[in-house]
Amino acid sequence: MKKIIVITLAISALATMAFKSATTKLVSNNAHINFFSHTALEDISSNNYKVVSTLDQPTGDVVFSVPMQSFEFEKALMQKHFNSKDFLDTKKYPKAKYIGKISNLSDINFAKDGTYKANATGELTIKDVTKPVTATGSITVLNGKITLNSKMNLTLADYNITFSKGKPSTNVAKEVTITTEAVYLPQ
Amino acid sequence: MKKTVKRNLIIVFAIIILGTIAIVFYLFNMPHRDVQATKTDFSLSSSSVVAEYLANAEAANQKYLEEEGNSKILAITGNVYSISEDLKNQKVVLLKDSTDKAGVSCTFTSETNAHASQLAIGQKVTIKGVIRAGAGYDADLDLYENVIMEKCDIINNN
Repeated sequence: MKKIIVITLAISALATMAFKSATTKLVSNNAHINFFSHTALEDISSNNYKVVSTLDQPTGDVVFSVPMQSFEFEKALMQKHFNSKDFLDTKKYPKAKYIGKISNLSDINFAKDGTYKANATGELTIKDVTKPVTATGSITVLNGKITLNSKMNLTLADYNITFSKGKPSTNVAKEVTITTEAVYLPQ
Repeated sequence: MKKTVKRNLIIVFAIIILGTIAIVFYLFNMPHRDVQATKTDFSLSSSSVVAEYLANAEAANQKYLEEEGNSKILAITGNVYSISEDLKNQKVVLLKDSTDKAGVSCTFTSETNAHASQLAIGQKVTIKGVIRAGAGYDADLDLYENVIMEKCDIINNN
C-alpha cells in the first residue's frame, strides 16, 4: 500500500514537472543588452548579443544570464579595461545574472497581440554582489512571438566598481543605463 | 661644437616626446584582435570542451579565459545542431552532439555570415572563434547553457 502511494506521488510529481517545463517557460537565445555611460567628456556604449533569458508566463518570473566577456566596445583598450581585475574581473566572474518578476502581470495578455507596459522588480548579481533593481519596459506579443524591452539604471559603486584615478574616473559615469531586448520562443 | 651638442639634445628629446605621443595614440586606438588571423590555442571536439566544463567549470575557466578578455582561440569540431540569427543579424551555429547536455554556440560576423549559411543540419564541421564563457547547468534558468564562441568562421567542412 505504502509503495503504491509513493509511486503515485512520484508519478504525479514527475508529471507536473514535465507539464510545467513543457508549456509555460519561454526561452530566449536571441537577446541584446546595451550598456551606456554618459559624461560631458565621453559617451561609452557597449553591446552584448550572447545573453540567455527565460520568461515564465504564469508567474512572471524573468531570468537573464549574461556572459560578461561578450560585451563589445568600439575601442579595444576600453574592452580590456572592462574585463580587467580593476573593473569587472570577467575571468573570475564570467557571468552576471538578473532574477526578477513582472510586477503588473495582470495587465499583460500573452495570448493576445499587442504591446503591454511591464514593470519588474528583481535582483542583479555582478561580481558576486547582489542588489535589488527595478526595470521598466514593455512586452510585445505578435503571432505567438513575445518580445521584452526594458531599461534600468545601475550605480556602479553598488557593485564595488569604482575608479579613483585616471581617465576612467572622469570619463565613466557613476550611473549607467542598461537597455535590454529579448525575443522569446516556446522551449 | 657646443652648438651641435645642443642641437643633438633637442633632436633626442623631440624623438622621445614624439615616440611617447605615438605610443599613447597607438594604445588608445589599438585595433581589436583579429581572431581569425591569430593562432589557434586549442583544437578539440564540441563534446570534449562541454565535458570539461561540466566536470569542473572553475578549472576550465582558468584554462580558457583570459583576464583582459582576449580569451583562448578554439577550433571546435562538431555536428551542426541548429543555425539561427541573433539581433545583430549574425549567424549563430550550434555545434552539439544529440547525446550531449550542451553544445558550443558559435556566433559569426557580418564578414563570415555567408559561410555559415552554406552549412546543413547534421553536417560535421570545424569552427574557429574566441571563447567567451563556458557550459553548465543554471538552476535559475533551469537549463544547460552552451559554451559561447564569437568572431567565428569555418576552417574545415569536410
